[in-house]
Amino acid sequence: MSAPISPVRNPLITGSKTYHQITEDLCSPTERAPNPTWVIAFLISVTVFGFGLFCIAWTIWKGIGTWGSNRTIGWAWDITNFVWWIGIGHAGTLISAILLLFRQKWRTGVNRAAEAMTIFAVMCAALFPGIHVGRAWVVFYFFPYPNTRGPLWPNFNSPLLWDLFAISTYFTVSLLFWYTGLVPDFATVRDRAKGIRKKVYNVLSFGWTGAAKHWQRWESLSLVLAGIATPLVLSVHTIVSFDFATSVIPGWHTTIFPPYFVAGAIFSGFAMVLTLMLITRKVLSLEDYITIEHVESMNKVILATGSIVGVAYLTELFIAWYSGYIYEQFAFFNRAVGIYWWSYFGMMACNVISPQFFWSKKLRRNVTFTFFMSIFINIGMWFERFVIIATTLARDYLPSSWSFYKPTWVEIGIYLGTMGLFFTLYLIFVRVAPVVAIAEVKSILKSSGDQYVKGHETYHETAPLREVHH
Amino acid sequence: MKIDKDTIWIGGKDLEGDKELIEQAALETSLPAADSPLPMDIDESTSGNRRDFLKILGFSVGAAAVAGCEIPVKRAIPYVVKPDAIVPGVATYYASTFVHDGDVLPIIVKTREGRPIKIEGNSMSSMSRGGTSARAQASVLDLYDIDRIREPYMRNDEEGAEWKATDWASLDRAIQKALSSSSRPVLLTHTIVSPSSLALIDKMIAKYPGMRHVQYDAISSSALLQANKEDFGEALIPDYHFDKADVIASFGADFLGTWISPVEYAADYAERRKVRSLDDHRMSRHFQIEAGMSMTGSNADNRIPVRPSHMGSAIAYLHGKIAGGGGGSALPADAKKGLDVLADNLKAARGKSIVISNSNNKAEQKLVNAINARLGNYGSTMTFAHASLQRKGNDKDLRTLMADISAGRVDALITWGANPAYDTPEAAQFVEKAAGIKTKIALAYKKDETTLLADYVAPIHHTLESWGDAEPKRGLLSTIQPTISPLFTTRQAEESLMIWSEGVTDEVPDYRTFVQMNWKNTAFGAQTSFGSFDTFWENALQDGVVELSGGTELNYGGSASASGITRPSSDGLEISFTEKVGLGDGSYANNPWLQEMPDPVTRCSWGNYLAVPVTFDGDRKFVGYGGVEDDSEVVELAVGDYSISPSAIKQFGQKADTVSIALGYGRSAGGTCAKGIGVNLYPALTVDSDGNTQYYATDVDWKGSTGRKEKYYSSVQYHHTMGVTGIDSESGEKINADEQALADLPVKGFQGSLVNRSIIRRAHADELGEFIHDLQHEREHHQHLNDASLYPGHDELYNQGHHWGMHIDLNACIGCSACSVACMAENNVPVVGKREVSRHHEMTWLRIDRYYYGDVENPKTVYQPMMCQHCDNAPCENVCPVNATNHSSEGLNQMAYNRCVGTRYCANNCPYKVRRFNWLDYTTADTWPDNEPVLVEGTTLEYGADDLTRMVLNPDVTVRSRGVIEKCSFCAQRIQEGKLTAKKEGRRLRDADVKTACQTACPTGAIVFGDRNNPEGDLMTKYASPLNYIALEEVNVQSSVQYSARINNQDKKLEA
Repeated sequence: MSAPISPVRNPLITGSKTYHQITEDLCSPTERAPNPTWVIAFLISVTVFGFGLFCIAWTIWKGIGTWGSNRTIGWAWDITNFVWWIGIGHAGTLISAILLLFRQKWRTGVNRAAEAMTIFAVMCAALFPGIHVGRAWVVFYFFPYPNTRGPLWPNFNSPLLWDLFAISTYFTVSLLFWYTGLVPDFATVRDRAKGIRKKVYNVLSFGWTGAAKHWQRWESLSLVLAGIATPLVLSVHTIVSFDFATSVIPGWHTTIFPPYFVAGAIFSGFAMVLTLMLITRKVLSLEDYITIEHVESMNKVILATGSIVGVAYLTELFIAWYSGYIYEQFAFFNRAVGIYWWSYFGMMACNVISPQFFWSKKLRRNVTFTFFMSIFINIGMWFERFVIIATTLARDYLPSSWSFYKPTWVEIGIYLGTMGLFFTLYLIFVRVAPVVAIAEVKSILKSSGDQYVKGHETYHETAPLREVHH
Repeated sequence: MKIDKDTIWIGGKDLEGDKELIEQAALETSLPAADSPLPMDIDESTSGNRRDFLKILGFSVGAAAVAGCEIPVKRAIPYVVKPDAIVPGVATYYASTFVHDGDVLPIIVKTREGRPIKIEGNSMSSMSRGGTSARAQASVLDLYDIDRIREPYMRNDEEGAEWKATDWASLDRAIQKALSSSSRPVLLTHTIVSPSSLALIDKMIAKYPGMRHVQYDAISSSALLQANKEDFGEALIPDYHFDKADVIASFGADFLGTWISPVEYAADYAERRKVRSLDDHRMSRHFQIEAGMSMTGSNADNRIPVRPSHMGSAIAYLHGKIAGGGGGSALPADAKKGLDVLADNLKAARGKSIVISNSNNKAEQKLVNAINARLGNYGSTMTFAHASLQRKGNDKDLRTLMADISAGRVDALITWGANPAYDTPEAAQFVEKAAGIKTKIALAYKKDETTLLADYVAPIHHTLESWGDAEPKRGLLSTIQPTISPLFTTRQAEESLMIWSEGVTDEVPDYRTFVQMNWKNTAFGAQTSFGSFDTFWENALQDGVVELSGGTELNYGGSASASGITRPSSDGLEISFTEKVGLGDGSYANNPWLQEMPDPVTRCSWGNYLAVPVTFDGDRKFVGYGGVEDDSEVVELAVGDYSISPSAIKQFGQKADTVSIALGYGRSAGGTCAKGIGVNLYPALTVDSDGNTQYYATDVDWKGSTGRKEKYYSSVQYHHTMGVTGIDSESGEKINADEQALADLPVKGFQGSLVNRSIIRRAHADELGEFIHDLQHEREHHQHLNDASLYPGHDELYNQGHHWGMHIDLNACIGCSACSVACMAENNVPVVGKREVSRHHEMTWLRIDRYYYGDVENPKTVYQPMMCQHCDNAPCENVCPVNATNHSSEGLNQMAYNRCVGTRYCANNCPYKVRRFNWLDYTTADTWPDNEPVLVEGTTLEYGADDLTRMVLNPDVTVRSRGVIEKCSFCAQRIQEGKLTAKKEGRRLRDADVKTACQTACPTGAIVFGDRNNPEGDLMTKYASPLNYIALEEVNVQSSVQYSARINNQDKKLEA
């Protein structure tokens, strides 16, 4: 994967790492006993996840009536959370697939964690369609399998069914991609391990020997999977947006939804990657591998996608006005100043205004600022889905049926529970797998390691050639 | 033969295939083993080997396990000897009469397998013409009321002792003994409309000469009766012909909802509200003079808001205008202006107008009589031949009785239906003094406030278990026959009275015979159609109604003066006490269907709410009286010295400085659903100098809003308006104030956001031509856009066979909600209780949306029944992932409950929001009980959790379980029944073969159902009207329901 060294590119690996150092740095977290921070975080996550499980059981046992949704607002937090998590799950595949095809080297520092995050986020998301239904015990009706009822097939016209296929495909491909990437790294861990760990990692690494043929096949598979995954990045959220776009409800029935949803998904996905990576690099001391360059690159993606989302919001407003259609106009009027104005305000502030700060290079490279921005963006994107779903349903065609929605403790519990699940899985992940792709980072060491990037100030601070380059 | 070495062999001969041995073996077993290549290969059907054994074992274990998983079917016991009249699966109908105090309706009772399950109107009655009311529809549920008293009780001698269950014989002995030793027994009832009951009571009085019978009505028409007694010589209520009236003026009388005989009046009224011809609409003009917004007032063309205490002056002012002589000079100018216009209209319609009042002030009623007499209405729009007998209560008698009880002059009191411990102004006094009455006997259905005081409780039958008759109007008789054997150890009240008065003889062994005898002596003689009484009686039972010639016409011979009218109070807050379409005087309070039925005007269920006036602040807010910011705020006020803290709602149309609230709530006993719901206002009632109860008060001390909101505010409609206008304080122009108020942030809403919606269409009667032109133009535009579709549609399919559709005339719909309750009864729609309604989890398949429009302080109203529109391009169908909702070839949008997973996507995507989701286990269908909501907080009553309530279920309609969506099916079971009827008779189906439950319940004929492929049918006749429109037509869902526009006939001189 090496490419000619460009003098204008800043190094992506700092600290003059040798190959061995890289292995040491990245494998060691899986070999040490967990530190107290990890233990506390893990216990909290598991507890929250446990409470979420309780709330799910409560919902299934008692009925959806334990939620705050009603005859007018049939979906609220459930589908808001679903779309939110699916959106978060978009960064991983984008980084692994599209950036791989574009040969973006900076992806190597973050792709592993981003892919893991994708998988965990999709798991959290997939939970909601399963439990939001009135009769969770018959969700198998969704699946097109031969049956004795006719056979009776699902309704292939329904966007919910498309969702099922889109999400399951996306999950499968993302999982394969992630695992493929892990194989050589598991082998590295195996080679350093002893006893039972060695055996386990041996199985996990499929007996990887590091032979040239292995590498060749591995590279090919990565490319093929990237090719398959690339359209998925666009399709999944497009299809999720069809849940709304194909309906007749003003505020949902919008052709702009597919691109707008995809941009929003990447936007929120990168924000979540940043949130996690900024913590991870700090806790696991990976500043040399997840550098400010990485942060800045991701902030640029956030700026771009955030601006696309902003344009989409404004386009929606314009089209609502331009349509001359009273229901559409009112739907957007209501979003902005109606009963849920605060959620629209939150969405606009967090998603449209806040990423604009990233026009400033200084702020793009400010870790603390980035961290807070990533949280804001995730809040904003949650509000966006709430605005689209609950606010829209609360004030649709017939004023007689207008209603109001408030979540109950059960819904809040389930949402928190998915957070618990997500972090539980992520914390386990950082303990069992190298959180940065060792093999891939090594592949760019000679092109992006600071000791090789000639003239870079951190390495050649006293070098006589400095003036020549600057 | 050669035996394979793998086969089992016995001995060497066998192995060698010795012929002799084989023959012998064949003989022994008689099996064809000898010729078979394998001697062991015997007939498979009788064999069993290890594998078969395992198969069978596996199957039986599996089957047992599967069978064990099934929810067991409870108590399905077939008939040993099948009764002739009962064919399982086929409904039997009996004519009977719904009688509840003065509320009377001839009905047809539908029974299935011996259980009454549905009430239909009796179209042979000239009074109701097949219409019903919500109360009549709900009465079948009362039969299965779990709070019924199921056996006789009596208590020991000492006061306050516990009741003990007893048997009838002991109870009868004790009561007879008590009555014989009583010198002044009193029988206290509400209005009794049964001639046989009255005859029986006369006999009882003959037996106990000191006894008297007192009739009263909790919500009384006493003054009207008194005035008519003075002016016409008889205490009768005239027969009003609203269909003959060009101008109708009602001073506070809610004649479409609750006043005297609302179903009859509504049917007549609607005759003159439906637009039959565009050139001559023949619409009557209706003026309503009232303080609060009543259901009748909401239908009026012109509402003239006046304070309750000004009502008398308003009548006097009108009297002055019509008959001369002045009067009512203290009225404010706006009321005078309205009454001037009314007087002009009345004068132009002499002999073709009706003036009525619900006032319980005799002088005011006499003034109304004088106005009608002067207008020449008696004999044309108001006649006495079939005068109404539905209200007979004289408040004076009640006052005398209460005085007697207080003074200890009553030693025995039999209450029957009456509930003086609750529904009288003297209730508290009665409860206190009741101890002084030696013998208190309650002929009671439920343990209500009065029954709880009784010493002897004689539980009575439901009307559907009883024999009887009714005479709601002179000459209009109807019969009551039992449709089910008594469910409990109860006895018909009349039967008890017969026994207690020793009226049971060999000739008259029971009350049924008594009724027959009574009819033989009276009605039979008054008719000429039948020669033999038996034929006459059988015919009467079969038809349910017998219509005789009625009484003589009465002539007005009265005089009127304004001297006794209510003294107007011109400042301070006034309160009026109203009656709800559902709960009436409160005796219907334990009926969950009626409790859950939202009030047509306030759209609130499970409670009574203080209606406070609302004004527009000129900017962007509607301001409620006295600082009430939001609906459901708990306010505090005192009426006289009676303090209450009801929840308030901002009521459009409520006169400034007045509030109103319904009676009939705040029960302290009377059943689980009745108890503790709402606020009791009976103690706030006052009595005027004639002894008549007054349903308003001027002595109101407003203490203000607590700012606290009611916990479970069970309103089904949060937004109430569609174009309510007010003056914008900045521009000074008239704007749509409600649209201005739609923003939550301090910005102004945009104009047109409500009125430009294609949901409600309305016009003034004089501008029909222009309206139709615009409507057609707009519809053409929508249809043009809708035609621009990529998809071919399924019209070809729907054009064959049947294609069901519905037409609803918004001009005939008065909002009475009979359809809504009928739908619950027909389709097993569950009741969800107060808390669930407050969370917008109500399950109604058919609701009546109510919108206000026009001037903010005196708006007009339009009701829109809304149910599944059975769209032929249904948005719900294509989004269902499992095909649970789909379209029939006859244009029905169907639900397969078994298939429904419950994603609620269909409900979200329904533009009409008519789909209902089973959020919890509302029908107690699943196997664990802790997810069934209680109807009333603090109780354990879960609707339908008991076998008794479940008897009301319609076996033709699936009871839906938790987690599935349901909605209006266009009464699919009735369509099927109608198709079978036509098939059996070998003819094409007529629209009349299929009538939906809402259609048959409707008293005004606003709903018509039929086949869109039958051009001669009723439906297609209705579809031809150019006033028709489709709600949200431009969404292109191809709705199968057409609405006919709401037309208003306001006198434009009164346009605000």
